[in-house]
Amino acid sequence: MTEKLLSIKGVAKHFDEIKALTHVDLDIHSGEIVGLVGSNGAGKTTLLRLMAGVYTPTSGSVTLQDGSDVTKMRHLLGVVPESTGLYSRLTAWENIRYHSRLYGIDDETSWKRTQLFASRLGMSDSLSRHTKGFSRGMKQKTALLRALAHGPSILLLDEPTAGLDITSARTVRALVKQLRDEGGTVVYSTHQLEEAKQVCDRIVIIHNGEVRADGSPQQLMQQTEQDSLEEAYVALTADQARARTEDDESEGRFTAWWRKLFTPKTPELEVELNG
Amino acid sequence: MAEGSAMRIKQIAKKEVVEFARDWRTIIAIIVIPLLMFPLLFILFPVLLQSEAAELQSLELDLTIQTDGMPNNLSTIINQSSIQITYEELPILDDLSQPGDDLEKLRNGTVDAVLRITQSEDIWYYSILHMSTSEQSREAKSRLLYDLNEWENNETAARIESGGLDVNSTLDPLRWDGDISQADAATVGEQAGMALSMFIPLVLAVWTFSSAIQPSIDMTAGERERGTLEALLSLPCTRLELLLGKWLAVATITGVGVLLQIFGLLFAIGYLASSSILGVPELSILTIVLIIGAIMLFAIMVVAIELALAMRSHSVKEAGSILGPAIMLIIFPALFTQVINLDGIESFWFAIPVVNVLLALRELLMNRIITTHILIWVGTSLLYAVLAAKYASNQFKREDIVTSLS
Repeated sequence: MTEKLLSIKGVAKHFDEIKALTHVDLDIHSGEIVGLVGSNGAGKTTLLRLMAGVYTPTSGSVTLQDGSDVTKMRHLLGVVPESTGLYSRLTAWENIRYHSRLYGIDDETSWKRTQLFASRLGMSDSLSRHTKGFSRGMKQKTALLRALAHGPSILLLDEPTAGLDITSARTVRALVKQLRDEGGTVVYSTHQLEEAKQVCDRIVIIHNGEVRADGSPQQLMQQTEQDSLEEAYVALTADQARARTEDDESEGRFTAWWRKLFTPKTPELEVELNG
Repeated sequence: MAEGSAMRIKQIAKKEVVEFARDWRTIIAIIVIPLLMFPLLFILFPVLLQSEAAELQSLELDLTIQTDGMPNNLSTIINQSSIQITYEELPILDDLSQPGDDLEKLRNGTVDAVLRITQSEDIWYYSILHMSTSEQSREAKSRLLYDLNEWENNETAARIESGGLDVNSTLDPLRWDGDISQADAATVGEQAGMALSMFIPLVLAVWTFSSAIQPSIDMTAGERERGTLEALLSLPCTRLELLLGKWLAVATITGVGVLLQIFGLLFAIGYLASSSILGVPELSILTIVLIIGAIMLFAIMVVAIELALAMRSHSVKEAGSILGPAIMLIIFPALFTQVINLDGIESFWFAIPVVNVLLALRELLMNRIITTHILIWVGTSLLYAVLAAKYASNQFKREDIVTSLS
């Protein structure tokens, strides 16, 4: 058994009435790629934000190997949020350097690591360019470089290939696998089952705020007695996925009431279905 | 504060300022406009006034004079005023101010004014029918009043002379002796301080608040909307460090703007305004230090409140619609403060938020150092600044700041 790097114990996360996560137990081990798979609104991003220390659990704990709270050991993490979070008026290198400096890493070390990974991602020539004109793929690669520049123990990736063209998505997936091969640990959130199967050693299926299954693709198929991973996923998430509503976003009651006041009702159309 | 923490705050502030400065529109808004606003105002306003005055002077006006006998020389005086005159019989009315049939002529612009004048024994009675909402009619009335005044002065002098009296001593029996300005115990610098105290606090307060709006929104709701905040929150810096870094950046940008505006104002006063109107105030070193302290305390409070309100907002649009009208919270107290009499002012005024700093600035610009007042405004300003910073800190600790309505 490899070393346990991150431990999530009995974690629940509620936003007022909304129970984003109900009870999650999960261990992340060194040198593995763990895929968080689930539909939109399942709770993947909430779980990643809890791992990154952006959110505090309503109950339970997220701790690192030495038992310390994750919020106190953020320098061990590298995070790529779904939005990439790049500053468009800064160059790619300036974006990377800004985060590295906040991690307490000197520019020289950061630059060496950036160059190393930039060459693998084909980004070496773009480091001095402002990110404003970057394609989605280049932004994603820059965000990856930024997350890797300080040498994190665990990489947290939220939908890293969403919106990327085929070539860029392949490059990102290849780098993730290469990192794993070099001993790195990656948590990889996606709603694409096929992608998770290609990239991840272990798949954690999240549905309606709870972990439904945790294991290798083979184990998930055995557990559900299905021939394919897709069938296994369907069997594990048979109950209807909850809708991601506007209420998920914090909004004052008066604001919500006011907006509804000026929102006409959608007409109910009677449609006759033939055949 | 730990070295690492100070370094992170510095890095956050530096990055915010660099990113902000890379937008040329920002440079115009924060640097160029404040610097040039007052000099341009001092140059353009007199030019505009002169141009308007010249335009009015060139107007050819139509006047109807209704009389049963004009005074000697009055027609000659009026004829010199670029006025076309039509004479009519004086209508029979209870008094000369009743418009009668002339109302329509004035309303449709056929004539610009109607002068009615008649003599009863030694007194001439007159009225000028006009339309106050018409610029031409107002100008016609103004020229007529000027001409009538000239005629009246001539007539008065003639009547005094005919009575065997000296005109000057009869009309002006009480006179100021010497230079009026020499009799004022206040120095030129103090007078300048008083004049400046009527608008510098207002300018400082409004500009501090308004110039902090855009950077505050950009660094909070803007980050939230662009999705850059989540990556930032996952870094090993505390929310307080994040707030302090952003506060430092907004305060720097705002401070530069305010300083440039004051520089522009002083330049305009020194080189463009007439020295008889405005001068350079006399301020001691202690007064200058206290002025800077008052502005800093005010800036701490204002920037913290703006950052907090912007951070509460889910989008740039929402933040703008909150912070835009919020400037009224500064403008109303600022205008109110201008009319408060500083002589014998009650001490409680120096404890009211916003009003306290504005009154303090007024007193300091007049070089009045009153220890009780200083203690009250420093104490209360510190309290308000701490409360505002605490409120901002609470907003930065909210978990929902990573979500956006965009």
